[in-house]
Amino acid sequence: MLRYVLRRLPSAVIVLLLATIPVFAVLRLAPGDPAATVAGPDAGPEVIASVRHDMGLDRSLTAQYFSWLGDALQGDFATSFVSKAPVSDLVMRGLGNTGTLTLCALLLAVLIAFPLGLAQALARTGRLRSLLSGLNVVMLSVPPYVTGVVLVLIFSVGLRLLPPGGYVSVFDDPVAGFQFLLLPAICLALPAAAVLARFLTASLQRVFQEEHYFASRMRGLSAKRLVLRHGLPNAVGPVVTVLGIQIGHLLGGAVIVESIFAWAGLGQTLVTAASARDYPLVQALLLLAVTVFIALQLLSDVVYAVIDPRVRERT
Amino acid sequence: MSELTEDVHLPAAAAAPERKRATGLGDLLRTPAIGGSAGVLALLLLAALIVPPLLPYGPNELASATALDPPSWSHPLGTDELGRDLLARLLAGIRVSLLVIVAAVPLALLAGGLLGLFSSAGRWTDTPTQRLFDVVLAFPALIMGIAFAALLGAGLTAVIVTVAVAAAPMIGRVLRGAVRSQSARDYVLAAKVTGVRPWRLYVRHILPNCFDVVLVQTSLACATAVFIEGGLSFLGLGVRPPDSSLGGLLSSSLTFLTSSPFYAIGPLVVISALVLCFTLLADALNRKLAAR
Repeated sequence: MLRYVLRRLPSAVIVLLLATIPVFAVLRLAPGDPAATVAGPDAGPEVIASVRHDMGLDRSLTAQYFSWLGDALQGDFATSFVSKAPVSDLVMRGLGNTGTLTLCALLLAVLIAFPLGLAQALARTGRLRSLLSGLNVVMLSVPPYVTGVVLVLIFSVGLRLLPPGGYVSVFDDPVAGFQFLLLPAICLALPAAAVLARFLTASLQRVFQEEHYFASRMRGLSAKRLVLRHGLPNAVGPVVTVLGIQIGHLLGGAVIVESIFAWAGLGQTLVTAASARDYPLVQALLLLAVTVFIALQLLSDVVYAVIDPRVRERT
Repeated sequence: MSELTEDVHLPAAAAAPERKRATGLGDLLRTPAIGGSAGVLALLLLAALIVPPLLPYGPNELASATALDPPSWSHPLGTDELGRDLLARLLAGIRVSLLVIVAAVPLALLAGGLLGLFSSAGRWTDTPTQRLFDVVLAFPALIMGIAFAALLGAGLTAVIVTVAVAAAPMIGRVLRGAVRSQSARDYVLAAKVTGVRPWRLYVRHILPNCFDVVLVQTSLACATAVFIEGGLSFLGLGVRPPDSSLGGLLSSSLTFLTSSPFYAIGPLVVISALVLCFTLLADALNRKLAAR
C-alpha cells in the first residue's frame, strides 16, 4: 500500500510545483508596478525604490520565485494590497464557510448520485431510461447560476420556505443555519451528483457483464442481494476517483453559489480581490484551490487502491 | 514511384467518403436528439442575428419612462430597472455569447489540436505535453477565469482567453488518443509501407479519421464557452455594464426577483437552452458516430 502511495506521489508533487509557476507569474504579469501600488499614490521615487527593495522585487526572477515559494509553504503570503492585512488571515476567515458549504454539497451529491446511478443502470424500459438520462444531462449541464436563481424563485419567492441568501452559523443556531445552507448546497451538489451517477451507471453496467456476476445470478441470488452485495462493491472504485476531481469542480462552482446566496466564503473573497486587483490575495487563493484539487485527486486514487487491490497490482 | 503510391493507397482514401455517405449530414440531422438540439441552437442564433435591427429599441436605449414594466405588447419580455427593453438586451446577450464562441473555440481547437498532435508524436513529446495539460486542468475553469480577469481587467478578452485555455487540454487529450488509435491500424501501416510521406499521412489519412471526436469536443467547447461567459459576467468580471450579456442580465435580475420575477425568465431559458443543446448535441453525435 505504502509503495503505491510513494509511486503516485512524485507526479502529484511535480504537477503541483509546475502549477505554482503560473500562480507566481500572476503578480509579475500584472499591469503596473507592485512596489508603487504598495507604497501608495503619494510616494516619491525613493520611497518606491525602498519598498521595491523590501519586497525583494530588485532580485532576479528565479530568486523571487523561490523566496515566494518558501514563504508560501510556510503559509506566508505577504499583505493584501487593499486591506493591508496579512493575506493568510483573510483566507482563514472564509475557509470555514467555504469548507462547510463544499462538504455539505459533496455529501448531498453522493446521496443523490447513488440512487440515481443505480436506477439508471437498472432501468429496463426505454422510456424510464431516457427520462433518467435526460434528468442526468439537465443536472450536468445547467450552470449553477441558473439552478441557483431557479431554486430561489421556487423556494424563496414562490413557496417562501427558505431564505434567498445570507449566512447564519450552524453552531449558533442549528435550524436557521441549516435553512441558509440548504439551497446553496443543493445548487452546488447537482452537477457533481450527475457526474458521479453517470460514472456509477457505466461502472455498474460493466460489472453486470462480468462472469462472476453472471455466476452469482445463476446461483439464484435475490435481485437485491445481487446488486447490493455483488454489483455495487465492484462498481464504486472508478466513482471514487471521479469524486476527487468533482471536489475540484465544487470549488469552482462555490464561487458562483456564494455570490448568488451572499454566502460569506472564499469565493466572495476571490471575486472582490479580482475586481480590486489585489494580486497577493488572488495568488494565495489560486494556490489554495490548486493544492486542494491535486491533493484530493491523489487521495481519491489512494482510496481506490485501498478498496480495489487490483489497482495496486496493476501499476 | 509516385504514381504507384497514389494507386496503392487509393482504396483506403476512397473507402472513407463512401462510409461517410452512409451516415451523412442529413442522416445525422434526422436523429431526434441531434436534429432537435441543432434546430433550437439555429433558432436562437438566427434570432440574435436577425431580430435586433428590426426592434424599435437598442439594447442600451431607454425604451420606457417607467422601470421594471411587466411583459406587454410593446415590450414582450418587459423592461429592466432603467427602463431598457429586455428582449433587445437578451438578444444582445446571445450575440455576446456567440462572439465568445466564434473567437475562443477556434483558438482552443488550434492550440489543443497542435498540442495533441505534438503529444502523439512520441514518448519524448508526450510526457511534457501531458504534464502541461495536467497543470492547466488542475485550475477549476471559473477560478482560472477570475485570475485572468484580475490580470487583464474584467471584459471580453479575459472571457475569451479563459475559454480557449480551459477547452484546449480537453481537445488535445482527445485528439492524441484518436491519433494514437488510428496510427495502430492497418491502413496506416499500409500507407507507411507504400512510402506515403509523414505530412501526407497525417493530413490525408489519420486526421480525417479523427474528425468525429474533434467535432464532439467542439460542441462541448461551445457549451463551455457559454458557461464561462455566463459565469464571469454573472460575477461582474466579464462583460461590463451598460453592455448586455446573459450572465449580467441574470445577476441584475437577482436583485428584483421578489418584485419582478419576469426579469429572470429570459436569461434563465436562453442560457439553459444553449448549454443543454450543445451538450446534448455532443452526446448524441458521440453515440451516433461511435456506432458507425
